[in-house]
Amino acid sequence: MILLQSPSRFLLQILKDRIVSGDKGVDIDCHTVEFDDVRYHVQFSMRNPKVMVLSVALPLAPPEAILYDGLPLGAIDAIKAAYGAVVQILDPPKDCFDLTMKINLTKLPTDEEQRNVVLTQIASVREVVLGAPLKLLLRHLASKTVAPNVDKLVALVHRPNESFFLAPQADKVTVVYPMRFQDSIDIVLATSFLQEFVEARRTAALNNAPSCMWSPVPPLELKGVNADALDANAGFVTFVVFPRHVEGRKLDKTVWSLLTFHAYVSYHVKCSEGFMHTRMRRRVESLIQALDRAKSDAEKLKKLVHGGSFRRLSMKHEGNSNH
Amino acid sequence: MDPSERPAVVFDNGTGYSKLGFAGNSEPSFTIPTVVAVNESFLDQSEQCSSANWLAQYNAGVMADLDFFIGDEALSHFKSSGLYSLRSPIRHGQVNDWDTMERFWQQSIFNYLRCNPEEHYFLLTDSPVSTPESRECMGEIMFETFNVPGLYISVQSVLSLSAGFAYLKSLSEEDSEDSVSDMTGVVVDIGDGAPHIVPVVNGYVIGSSIKSFPLSGSDVTQFVMQLLQERGELLPPDDALDIARRVKETYCYTPSDIVKEFKKHDSKPSKYIKQWSAIKPKTGVPYTVDIGYERFLGPEIFFHPEMYSPDFSTPLPELIDSCVQSAPIDTRRALYKNIVLSGGTTMFKDFHKRLQNNIKKIVDERVAETNARHRVEVKPVEVNVVTHPIQSYAVWFGGSVAASSHEFFECCHTKEDYEEHGASICRTSTVFKGMY
Ligand SMILES: Nc1ncnc2c1ncn2[C@@H]1O[C@H](COP(=O)(O)OP(=O)(O)O)[C@@H](O)[C@H]1O
Ligand SMILES: [Mg+2]
Repeated sequence: MILLQSPSRFLLQILKDRIVSGDKGVDIDCHTVEFDDVRYHVQFSMRNPKVMVLSVALPLAPPEAILYDGLPLGAIDAIKAAYGAVVQILDPPKDCFDLTMKINLTKLPTDEEQRNVVLTQIASVREVVLGAPLKLLLRHLASKTVAPNVDKLVALVHRPNESFFLAPQADKVTVVYPMRFQDSIDIVLATSFLQEFVEARRTAALNNAPSCMWSPVPPLELKGVNADALDANAGFVTFVVFPRHVEGRKLDKTVWSLLTFHAYVSYHVKCSEGFMHTRMRRRVESLIQALDRAKSDAEKLKKLVHGGSFRRLSMKHEGNSNH
Repeated sequence: MDPSERPAVVFDNGTGYSKLGFAGNSEPSFTIPTVVAVNESFLDQSEQCSSANWLAQYNAGVMADLDFFIGDEALSHFKSSGLYSLRSPIRHGQVNDWDTMERFWQQSIFNYLRCNPEEHYFLLTDSPVSTPESRECMGEIMFETFNVPGLYISVQSVLSLSAGFAYLKSLSEEDSEDSVSDMTGVVVDIGDGAPHIVPVVNGYVIGSSIKSFPLSGSDVTQFVMQLLQERGELLPPDDALDIARRVKETYCYTPSDIVKEFKKHDSKPSKYIKQWSAIKPKTGVPYTVDIGYERFLGPEIFFHPEMYSPDFSTPLPELIDSCVQSAPIDTRRALYKNIVLSGGTTMFKDFHKRLQNNIKKIVDERVAETNARHRVEVKPVEVNVVTHPIQSYAVWFGGSVAASSHEFFECCHTKEDYEEHGASICRTSTVFKGMY
């Protein structure tokens, strides 16, 4: 499993368990934290066993990323469109959260397959909310227009205090990520991974993928952006997305991939580190084994010498030769 | 945001099941089998092609490293495709395959909890008899590979004990401070791996008195399967163990007297015999299995172990008694008073009642004998086997409570400590300090 999936495993499991356990469920009050500080809080109460209250906290937005009532552009509409009557948005949200929704399980479709589709949608609330502005812009790209009242350069929050940038045009959308990592080893690995990533894009099999560039300095598109937002220690990655990348069913996948690009790279860096350690450990183990073997051979030899067997052997030999 | 402001990640990796979740919750987010399905077909291929082609071999190794699954997904991939083989990183409560364990953690972190390990403190649990080397290895993987900011490795039995206290405290309205600080009791932890009986006094493990019992949950499953098959029930071979396990978890119970139980079953079969219906995996034909004496014979191996394993005949209650008897004399009364159950296999209905009765009987007999021999009147010993509904994941619960206290972050080994002193900081566990 190399790609992160959009639905949260945790939310999906709770929802499905709840459907199975029916009314006799117990009070649930639990929280969880996902990558990039997206937090969920789930509540079920015995008094109202068919209603789940789900609160979501988003990563802290940097100043350049504009929010509307605390949420990304178009998030409320996206929620309504995705969930319809199943979900009711509570205003204001619970303390310390950006969004609180009441999910009415009695309004779910009765057909199991359809119901699972809706539950998976609910578990993908992260994509619905954080991806809302991205989806809006890309939908316009699919119809080869530019969304009205949109700036030339849009900043969208994707990590705590960090944003990525979109330059929408009628025939293409340019997406730029300033890449930042904490750990010095991560920075080195990520930089080389990104260069290889760009290289891989050039191979024939990936001709249809969005074109992709890496540069150590901010690309032209980011001219005029404040210096804080451009302070990146692993360079800048630019994708150019064309209408063919966002046609029909491709749209959702593209939205999620763009939204989690940084997480994808950092996951890869972590896994590579893991593999390196595993390999180093195996190597050390085989070296130790080789050393042990050498040592025990040497010890055997020593024993033989101490036991005088060498001498006896040689004496015997001498004796034999005397005959 | 400082990592200590986020909830810590709590992992209880058991022989059979791993409990994964965040501190502060009352239940683990995930409980999944501790298994990894790895695809070794890449490696086989590369062995066939000439060994000179090192790049092909290297790539095959990388692919094998990438293509794996954990938990229930591992089981389903193993069943549906011949390409995968199953590995269990933990045997008898202790990690014996670190590469596989590392993969299991990697998936648990990135794909189950979906968190960034650099942003959370971690609490891992450890068997009471594990070695300093194994704790060192845990530390190395957590700090080096996952780059965690802080790590605490706690002994499972101590967590179970504190879970019991925390649970009882959450029930009672008034704060009874003294009972919480008084961490004394015997922990009987029976899961899928080697069960241990561990006496804890004031939060310290009495290492020399730890006793092990050789039979565990997986043996009960095995025994139930054997009984079903010997009685002539037709189980599909591929599914037999799985069905036996589910039968065990759903229907097994502990009777107070096994002879009476046979009579009860014989006089009213309709009341006691249960049915299990399933579908054959290969042909799709439905079938039914009758479940009779297995219901109470399964858990009986803890009270009559010779029934299942001829080499071992000390019943669990006797072992618990001898564990307490080997502890310092001034702690024994307190230990008898608080015998805490933990682990999935203690969940059988009335298991605690039977234990309590049997131990009480042994203790009362000893007191009566002393009284008769020395012509004295010793105060009767109070025996108390404690159960609570969180028993099956008590270790995790204890971890969750411990890791949500403020002191937790101060007790952790930090990344800075690790970088300065190396993995040896994880060798010692504070709960053993002062005892030896
Ligand atoms: N309700 C139940 N009744 C009896 N046994 C159970 C029940 N639930 C789980 N188990 C058994 O408990 C074992 C797992 O216990 P657990 O404490 O998670 O083990 P470990 O920590 O060693 O992995 C399994 O053998 C499982 O079949
Ligand atoms: Mg356990």
